[in-house]
Amino acid sequence: MSVREPVAVATGTAVPEREVGPITPTDIVRFAGAGGDFNPLHHDPAFARRAGFDGVIAMGQMQAGMLASWLTDWCGVEYLRELDVRFRAPVRPGAVLRFTGEATGLGDLDGEPVAALALRAAVGEDEVVRASAVIAVNDGSRAGPVGRS
Amino acid sequence: MSAERTRTVGDVLDEVAFTVEAGKVGEFARATHATDPVHSDPVAAAAAGFGALAATPTHVVVSGHHRDQRAMVERLGLALERVIVGSVRWRYRRPLVVGDELRGVRRLVGDERVGGGSGRPPMRRITLETTFVDAAGEAAVEWREVVLERGVPS
Repeated sequence: MSVREPVAVATGTAVPEREVGPITPTDIVRFAGAGGDFNPLHHDPAFARRAGFDGVIAMGQMQAGMLASWLTDWCGVEYLRELDVRFRAPVRPGAVLRFTGEATGLGDLDGEPVAALALRAAVGEDEVVRASAVIAVNDGSRAGPVGRS
Repeated sequence: MSAERTRTVGDVLDEVAFTVEAGKVGEFARATHATDPVHSDPVAAAAAGFGALAATPTHVVVSGHHRDQRAMVERLGLALERVIVGSVRWRYRRPLVVGDELRGVRRLVGDERVGGGSGRPPMRRITLETTFVDAAGEAAVEWREVVLERGVPS
């Protein structure tokens, strides 16, 4: 059975950018339905105002999920080892999310060559998500395709 | 319920069991704008070495459908309208595919007061960890959430 090669990465290698948006209330509701997050903060404007926001905001898992899917569309979901995501600012309808990232170093995780990545999502100049990831990579030493399952 | 004992660090908060389903994989892939055909096309998934359609990396978020978030928030004594998620962390042992039968046990692994000062009330920081184990009893994915409850200004 053929398996995909991990991406070849050097320090500084950029992840191809992606833009998602403008985010609509429908996008937020679609994610709520997909994931089962029915906190009214994410679909009920009156509740959101009582909570101190000027309207509904996206659940962090939406932008985290978009970031994760953006990353693994590039590196392959079977090669993602670790992902840490910090939410820095709320995402509101109208936001255009711009995902960018780059490799910050190469290393070894349980005997496997990996790269550490610094990732982010920004709305205009404002960073709304900051993330780091560890992915398995092809560092040139692999004899052939390697897959875990 | 007031008779319930307060949860303390180390306690199990809830348990969830579900099967990774093709329709849900597709729905979640679309909701997160995933484009890799391994999430939607069985032929592409097989060609990439997966035994079935592959789930997107944060797929276990769908466990929200099988959990009672509101009850958990109450059990932790949190005010829902002041709760925000601060960060999430994932550790992957293997990718999930359609047909995987998962069981996730969520534990309270941290509960502390942070911040405050200069006129701002401290926040309560709750750390929750769920390990999703497959039918063979092997851990597949670990998911950690840090939840913040904003303080009430005095």
